[in-house]
Amino acid sequence: MDIGGEYLVPASREIVWEMLNDPEVLAQCIPGCEELEATAEDEFTAKVVLKIGPVKAKFSGVVTLSDKVHPESYRLSGEGKGGIAGFAKGGANIRLEESGSDTKLTYEVDVQVGGKIAQLGSRLIASTSKKLASKFFITFCEVAQTRVSA
Amino acid sequence: MSEGIGARVTRKEDKRFITGHGRYTDDIVEQNQTYAAFVRSPHAHAEILSIDRDAAKAMPGVIDVLDGKQLTGDGIGNIICGWTVNSKDGTPMAMGAWSALATQYVRYVGDAVVIVVAETQDQAREAAEAVVIDYKELPAVVSAVEALQDGAPQLHPEAPNNQIFDWEIGDEAPTDEAIAGAAHVVEMDFTNNRLSPNPMEPRSAIATYNAIEEHYTLYTTSQNPHVARLILSAFYQVAPEHKLRVIAPDVGGGFGSKIYVYPEEIACLWASMKTNGSVKWTSDRTEAFLTDAHGRDHVSTAKIGFDKDYKIVGLKVDTIANLGAYMSLFSSATPTYLYATLLSGQYNIANIHANVCTVYTNTVPVDAYRGAGRPEASFLIERLIETSARQLGISPVELRRKNFVTEFPHQTPVIMAYDTGDFEAHLSDAMKAADWDGIAARKAEAESRGKLRGIGMSCYIEACGIAPSAAVGSLGAGVGLWESAEVRVNPVGTIEILTGSHSHGQGHETTFAQLVCDRFGLPIDNVQVIHGDTDKVQFGMGTYGSRSGAVGMSAIAKALDKVEAKAKKIAAHLMEADEGDIVIENGEVKVAGTDKVLGWHEVCLAAYMAHNLPEGMEPGLKEGAFYDPANFTFPSGTYICEVEVDPETGTTDIVQFTAVDDFGVIINPMIVEGQVHGGLAQGIGQAMLEHAIYDDNGQLLTASYMDYCMPRADNLPSFTIGHTTTACPSNPLGIKGCGEAGAIGSPPAIINAITDAIGNNNLSMPATPQKVWAAYNAASTKQAAE
Amino acid sequence: MTTINMTVNGKAVSGEVEDRTLLVEFIREGLRLTGTHVGCDTSQCGACVVHVDGKAIKSCTMLAVQADGTNVVTIEGLANGADLHPVQAAFKENHGLQCGFCTPGMIMSAADMIERYDGKLDEATIRAELEGNICRCTGYHNIVKSIQAAADEMSKSA
Repeated sequence: MDIGGEYLVPASREIVWEMLNDPEVLAQCIPGCEELEATAEDEFTAKVVLKIGPVKAKFSGVVTLSDKVHPESYRLSGEGKGGIAGFAKGGANIRLEESGSDTKLTYEVDVQVGGKIAQLGSRLIASTSKKLASKFFITFCEVAQTRVSA
Repeated sequence: MSEGIGARVTRKEDKRFITGHGRYTDDIVEQNQTYAAFVRSPHAHAEILSIDRDAAKAMPGVIDVLDGKQLTGDGIGNIICGWTVNSKDGTPMAMGAWSALATQYVRYVGDAVVIVVAETQDQAREAAEAVVIDYKELPAVVSAVEALQDGAPQLHPEAPNNQIFDWEIGDEAPTDEAIAGAAHVVEMDFTNNRLSPNPMEPRSAIATYNAIEEHYTLYTTSQNPHVARLILSAFYQVAPEHKLRVIAPDVGGGFGSKIYVYPEEIACLWASMKTNGSVKWTSDRTEAFLTDAHGRDHVSTAKIGFDKDYKIVGLKVDTIANLGAYMSLFSSATPTYLYATLLSGQYNIANIHANVCTVYTNTVPVDAYRGAGRPEASFLIERLIETSARQLGISPVELRRKNFVTEFPHQTPVIMAYDTGDFEAHLSDAMKAADWDGIAARKAEAESRGKLRGIGMSCYIEACGIAPSAAVGSLGAGVGLWESAEVRVNPVGTIEILTGSHSHGQGHETTFAQLVCDRFGLPIDNVQVIHGDTDKVQFGMGTYGSRSGAVGMSAIAKALDKVEAKAKKIAAHLMEADEGDIVIENGEVKVAGTDKVLGWHEVCLAAYMAHNLPEGMEPGLKEGAFYDPANFTFPSGTYICEVEVDPETGTTDIVQFTAVDDFGVIINPMIVEGQVHGGLAQGIGQAMLEHAIYDDNGQLLTASYMDYCMPRADNLPSFTIGHTTTACPSNPLGIKGCGEAGAIGSPPAIINAITDAIGNNNLSMPATPQKVWAAYNAASTKQAAE
Repeated sequence: MTTINMTVNGKAVSGEVEDRTLLVEFIREGLRLTGTHVGCDTSQCGACVVHVDGKAIKSCTMLAVQADGTNVVTIEGLANGADLHPVQAAFKENHGLQCGFCTPGMIMSAADMIERYDGKLDEATIRAELEGNICRCTGYHNIVKSIQAAADEMSKSA
């Protein structure tokens, strides 16, 4: 399923771009992220705790940044295994446009899950994904705010 | 006779169930019981790159962690389909390899990869989470139609284009010609929705290995323990037959899904040997949704031609059947010999041609589920007839009457020879019971309340008691479909019946005892029915296809014949009478026309004392029989459904459901009615509620009772049930079979009723409120535009 | 592990359970009372219904430790010795069961339902009240009939 939206981030496009490439910021913004370590350029291992419907699981997986067009767009994607809970993978295509001194961020999220999460929580994937995406970007805006005012 | 054939006696087996003393497989705990958990594929299609079992093996309580390479390495054979069906060009069916534990590829979500054995169930499940399997995901396909297309992901190297076979029945050219020359032609598309069987007891297995004796015991939730033992032994090489005892104790419903030998039973047996102990596995409900064989899943197109007098001249059907990722035990027969052979319905149709293409997809295997092929056939023909009547502007009743088979035997162009029936009898009975003629007033009354009322019927015929063995053998069956029975009379005159049929809700312990009561006039309390244990019962083909009455009881009747004959010889000898003058009734053995009489128990005792038997006679009174039927049996009936639709929401209420069936001779009407009720509920479930849905990636979205809509009490009405009787001529008891009729006959009646209410014939199953609402609005928009 | 004490079918029992142990697991595995069944893993089928302090509950939805100190009645304890409870008798009389797997939960729910409605039940109410109990065999026709018959019988004798 595909979910999208847009946010006005209170920072310049260059700062937003930097933030989107900063593992510390990503770790702060990815909901449930317990660990994010760079393993290669634009590649990280991650541990994320997610709760979808009745299934709560710790996913370990890989986060990658790809299709980079500085400072306009990239794809943030992740793939994780949650043991018997199954797997989840997906990503967000993110585009940045200047909007005065702010930056308009538009995103499209795609999510695929398998295993127990799909069997018991499939009804909730869309709403959960929406919630997780908005959590990510709301935190992202907050971090941007503090960066700019700092 | 108050407890004999035709008596409405309450069930002997009920007491243990209503007091909580049933003994189902999961209720049993062996000494030093260990527990298994399976690691299953979360992917619909993937290559297994590596399996890391080390962490799991180190977990507390873990005894062993075993994979598919070890299993095949130990010589455990692949799972097979037991019925060979060839393509029309003679090519044999393309059976892809299916190992109980996947070795290289996984092909559906739930495919078992690793078995973990631990001291407790929790430990096994926890260790299963610690098994790390590295998969390379492959593209998946879940729709049979898409799987046949160019470029579709390929499942098995043995089956190019995912096609298992492309089969036909009937003559194509004359059928085409007849339809080309027809005065009226009606065409329709059909989807028969995929279902999950859902017996309330999940599958379970306890495998115990005795190393000293090199002997295995398997408790399992099976409808046919002897068939399971045969297959486990002959094909999967788990153990030789005499070293394997299979027991199916109380089984909580089957509906077809417990016919098959599944990977878990094989893996547990093998693991019991590997760990030298007793291994128990019980499915949870999600596992059941993922791994129990599903039912139906056909996509068809059909064309029917009528002459100017509305007589059917030809029927042409093209069906694509989804068999899932592997060929299950009877998967090939279900969409062919159990489906296309019934497409003639209750009608006299000179020309029929059906083409059936079976296909692999990345879904759980599909096999027989209550009705097995016959619901798909009756849905197609009964929707087609009803829709034709509406399109041609004639009464659906008249159209059916014009085309009914009225003379028997009747040879259809699709193998079946209907032996007996009276279709008009149940049609008119059902119409009377449902007040068919009064529908106009009820529609008007409903309209005054803002509701849409509709009525629909279905005149189904089905085939039970698949046989004779030689005939099904010539059609590719890997087994004979006879049944066996043994009647053991004890010295005190009580009787044990050992039967190869298996009861998992059907009430055999009562109905089979009624046969004895009918024969000898003994109370049913003096009869014990024993089934479900390969060490006790000589052999048996089990219970499916509504065969226990027609085939299983006929075997008992044959054994009773032999017991009766011997008892009469003994009695004649003791009373110095002619054997032909002996009658057995009310528990007494008499010489007709005299006052000479012996108690039944006295004759039995004499047989065992053997002090005074006719010369040359062996002592004892115990006889066995194998019964191979002469033909299928053909139950038929008329079902009428009346619904009320709320046009605002599409919510549909069944306000009346009438079922009149011809099951031949009925042993216990109470039990037969119960079978019809249950079948109707499953048919209504298919028509209105149930649908097993995979997403495009092959994830099962309906894997719990939160998402798969099981019929609840308030989805269903109380039913109106009736019977007409034409005795079946091909078995000694005149029985036709009643186990599946409800599920076979009801879906088309319901959809015919709803489409009548909403004025739109284009409605697929399950007819959910959303679909009904959309179809109604499409119809009324169209009407407004015209 | 926690030690729990409760009365089950009139007898005092105790056991050591993990915090996560469900009441149904304690009943089936700890006490070996296997009449209470598990038919699903999402608390919907009702095969595990027992009475806790006189109320029907799904024993798969209660932790064993939560039942500490309670009075539990399972299907094995419903009859009065050899005398069947009227609901049990009605299920037999009206062929309200086939495979028997959902039956214990059905009977326990039905007994509670009759109690709550003081025996005044009609078909629509019975059907609505059975929302939490799934049967795959009977089409509910004879289950509804059984409960109605038991309710009538019990209000007559009351």
